[in-house]
Amino acid sequence: MRHVGTIASRELRSLFLSPVAYVVLTLWSVIAGTFFIVSLLTFHERQLRLQQFQMLDQIESMNLNDHLIEPFIGSMWVIVLFLLPAITMGLVASEKANGTDELLLTSPISVWDIVLGKFLAGVEFVTILTAIAGFFPALLFYYGDPELGKTLAGMLCLWLVSVTYVAVGVFASSVTRNQLIAFIFTFVLLLILGMMLPFIVDISTSGSGIGSDSAVAEVIRWMATGSHVDRMLQGLIDTSDIAYYAVASAIFLLLAKTVIESARWR
Amino acid sequence: MDEREERERQGGATGAAGGAAPLAIEVAGLSKRYGDHEAVRGLSFSVRAGEVVGFLGPNGAGKTTVMRILTGFLPATDGTVRIAGHDVLTDAIAARRAIGYLPETPPLYPEMTPAAYVDFVARLKDVPRAGRRAAVERALERCGLAAVRHREIRQLSKGYRQRVGLAQAIVHDPQVLVLDEPTVGLDPIQIREIRALIAELSATGRQTVILSTHILPEVEAICQRVILIGRGQKVLDQPLAELTGGGTSLEEVFTRVMTRDAADAEARGAA
Repeated sequence: MRHVGTIASRELRSLFLSPVAYVVLTLWSVIAGTFFIVSLLTFHERQLRLQQFQMLDQIESMNLNDHLIEPFIGSMWVIVLFLLPAITMGLVASEKANGTDELLLTSPISVWDIVLGKFLAGVEFVTILTAIAGFFPALLFYYGDPELGKTLAGMLCLWLVSVTYVAVGVFASSVTRNQLIAFIFTFVLLLILGMMLPFIVDISTSGSGIGSDSAVAEVIRWMATGSHVDRMLQGLIDTSDIAYYAVASAIFLLLAKTVIESARWR
Repeated sequence: MDEREERERQGGATGAAGGAAPLAIEVAGLSKRYGDHEAVRGLSFSVRAGEVVGFLGPNGAGKTTVMRILTGFLPATDGTVRIAGHDVLTDAIAARRAIGYLPETPPLYPEMTPAAYVDFVARLKDVPRAGRRAAVERALERCGLAAVRHREIRQLSKGYRQRVGLAQAIVHDPQVLVLDEPTVGLDPIQIREIRALIAELSATGRQTVILSTHILPEVEAICQRVILIGRGQKVLDQPLAELTGGGTSLEEVFTRVMTRDAADAEARGAA
């Protein structure tokens, strides 16, 4: 696996030669800025109202981490879900469309080099996204005194969600040569993983004989990204949450590798 | 019945072949099946180091399939392929390192420049870091790309793209060069240039080249030996000098094979 870096650096360079990367970066920056201002205004308004009603104990308990940074990051990870497919859709699909898969698969490299190289390029990109988002909470350190650890845990959470979604994107991009299909497939997978799983549990358990606390329901709930966000945003880094991101990424990368490899045998 | 006999005959022929020069390509009993369709049937041949072989056949005869199997892009259904002594399946990395491959459509990244692209391929092909820059320079130079090295590939003409594809194939100085229809779709001047380049490569005497084409003058211009395939089977395997020396032109042989092929297909269709 000595060629992961070769694949990744080429991919990243090509990404920045296309307009898509800049569109996504711009949208991300604008959305992050907007959400931050909204979070800030909400925080301020709430403080004013509490002051108005002289609810001093509640003012006392308000802090930048729980009432500003947490809701901010809590909305940003959902934005990842909408923007990331545009970045990952071409990772493998464009190789097939260009015919460059024939170059990669006849070079003295392994399929893991390709999969991990693509993944690494995506990870580098979402690291830039996380850094941009992190700029806004960082501003608060200038004007106030949020807790550093808690803030960093939130950023780590945003990064881990994004990294996991890159792995999903690599897989979705490997099943087709058509970037639009890859985009839609990634988006659907992310929607299911990120938003719909809890609803699926609710719908399937209500009315049917399966209890909402059955093992199946528990597993499905565990698969939902949302179940592994809240605690981390509150500054609690749990190994079971970290394991979720690691396992999910590994599964999708393994699937991608299998798909690319099996395409030869068809 | 007919098929099996032919396969045995071919198998015997390759068994007898074994020249003084080491074998660069050894193909034995190669078959490839796509579902019900047999694209390649019991193909066997070998190429000695330094030979330039024309792989000839009508469209759809299985040329591209064979080339893809040689380069390890497709696995064979049956049979073995050894490149410079390395089996393409069991010793894949070593075999691939020994191959330079220009597929039918050059595998290019349109947004890259030729210089960056050839450098990328050099890294993929394990060109040592110390000599990489020089290797990239030489490949660009040899393929006449020095003037366009910093242009985007998407802006280049078809002829130049083909040259970039060729530069990519030779950058790691491979023992075996596999070229799939290297001159298809080019204008006469570009064709002449590509041919001159292949001739120059083979002039060193070390470079083994196998190139597929259905353009006969191309074979006559650069190849020493001809392997003719029709419907996935070897029809003819002879040195060019022997072929054209016997009075029959390459075109006659080719036409004969093609018409027989068409008749066979018709007979099959009627049955």
